[in-house]
Amino acid sequence: MQKKLRLGELVIQLTLLLFGVLSILITAGIVLTLGEESLRFFASGEISIWKFLTAAKWQPAIGEYGILPLASATLMTSLIAMLIAAPLGLFVAVYLSQYATPRVRAVLKPILEILAGIPTVVYGYFALTFITPLLRLVFGENVVSIYNTASAGIAIGILILPLIASMSEDALGAVPRSLKEAAFALGATKLETSLSVVVPAGISGVAAAFIVGLSRAIGETMIVALAAGAGSALTANPFRSAETMTGYIVRISGGDLGYDTVDYNSIFAIGIVLFLITLALNIVSRRIVRRFREVYE
Amino acid sequence: MEKVAVAAVLLLAAGSLLSAQSSKKGFEWVTRQSDDPLLPGVNSLKVTGGIISAGSSTVYPLSERMVERFKDEGYQGSITVDSIGSGAGLERFCVAGETDVANASRAIKSSEVESARKIGREPLEFRIGTDALAVAVNKSNTFITNANKEELRLIFSTARKWSDVNPAWPKQDILRFIPGTDSGTFDYFVEELFGKKKEPILGAANLQLSEDDNVLVQGVEGSPYAIGFFGYAYFQENKDKLKVLSINGVAPSAETVNKATYPLARPLFLYSSAKIMREKPQVAAFLAFYLTYVNEEIRSVGYFPAEAEALKKAKQNWLDAMKGAY
Repeated sequence: MQKKLRLGELVIQLTLLLFGVLSILITAGIVLTLGEESLRFFASGEISIWKFLTAAKWQPAIGEYGILPLASATLMTSLIAMLIAAPLGLFVAVYLSQYATPRVRAVLKPILEILAGIPTVVYGYFALTFITPLLRLVFGENVVSIYNTASAGIAIGILILPLIASMSEDALGAVPRSLKEAAFALGATKLETSLSVVVPAGISGVAAAFIVGLSRAIGETMIVALAAGAGSALTANPFRSAETMTGYIVRISGGDLGYDTVDYNSIFAIGIVLFLITLALNIVSRRIVRRFREVYE
Repeated sequence: MEKVAVAAVLLLAAGSLLSAQSSKKGFEWVTRQSDDPLLPGVNSLKVTGGIISAGSSTVYPLSERMVERFKDEGYQGSITVDSIGSGAGLERFCVAGETDVANASRAIKSSEVESARKIGREPLEFRIGTDALAVAVNKSNTFITNANKEELRLIFSTARKWSDVNPAWPKQDILRFIPGTDSGTFDYFVEELFGKKKEPILGAANLQLSEDDNVLVQGVEGSPYAIGFFGYAYFQENKDKLKVLSINGVAPSAETVNKATYPLARPLFLYSSAKIMREKPQVAAFLAFYLTYVNEEIRSVGYFPAEAEALKKAKQNWLDAMKGAY
């Protein structure tokens, strides 16, 4: 049979190709800009990559360029967020996929999705004006600073909860019925089936959900800018103020720095570090999905 | 009879010429009736075109107030006031040339004047008032009411706990909330206390920096062991939650600022240029309006009027720049 060239089909194909290429080009453009500007930072000769990664102080105005305080604050807020969102998200997913009746599910799921639709600036003020006072009430005013990483971390946890819950739910929902039925046939209770059969079977998807949530937490900006603090500090105490990488970028790019100064270029260096972290996390999550995927039937 | 008619026509022509003279294009807003002995009156209803200004977060509340009044009296155009710090404001004015007016809480530097000249702008200075920098602590702080400069130097640099400055003070960490490194307030404070060296203050522990003075106020409100400094207006606005320190035994007030006994008082400025004011008459109108009414508003915003001489000099600068333009 001879292939007939249809003009309409061709136009559609080309248009779609164009859009596909465009998104790749945009990504490439972003990477290029980031790379170029951060190269300028390291090429300025004022700072070596080694010192940038290991020095314990960040204060560009006086020539201190150690990313550790910023990175540790990012780690702190993200870990706190994961401590909240990972267990909660998993349990919500288990409940929604295994226990909830269709009617309950039809009510709960949209409500959960509303959480995801709240602008992050609202979460920021929620952290500052609700979570922080609550923490101070519980732990004492002198223990908890007005700006602190715990409060920001909790808010980020709430922010990424729906993301983790709904991705995990998809993963658990995809576990074949036959596995569950086999477990029931062996006399397992619903809880045993959920926790020892369904969750392990869907673990690749759940892990991927956690990692996507984590990279979202690392990149979160508005909440930490409002609630975590505006000065870099190397501290392991979640109740003290500390500025995260994104928090620093947004504060400095607020129009108060001259172009092509070392401090200005430093925000691109931080940007590329952030980019590499989230890229690495995404690669890891794809790997996990591929490696641990249990193939049934 | 004919002669009379010709004379009348001539008179009319001359009259219309004269009236045209008094309202050149763009300057229709100039009125004879003025609330100022030096400057021409401004009919805000007839001012057209947008104005862009940016700069000091200290000048910001005052400029906002003047803009509000300008609009209340009929100005229809759009006017932006960005609060980005004196340095950034002057950079936008002198290097990028994006703004018509720069707000500053310090005098322009000679390097900035040079870059402005490179893009064809000769900065023109308008002194609009005086700010007393307020060093503030939490209302519930009972141990400190006064500090001398030596104590301030310690508090804002090497001291880790309050007891490191004065053994009678509590053994608690000092939580510092200071304006960002590009604000005029920061520059001024560093210059007054540390002789332009930024290292001591930026090396301090528990340091929070922000260009947004409300962030600082909120921080100081948050703990009895916090301390911060910012423009007096921000203290005034939050005086139910904050306590201002006396410096060397002198509390900031209109009297101590005018007599220059309060050690941390500094001038506030607007910068523009004659070229901008002539090309964009709305900028000239806004500046004239600003200089005419600033003293009626400045106290309620929380700052102090400039010395009469300095304000007069600002008005003279305006008149010199606009000579023959309207």
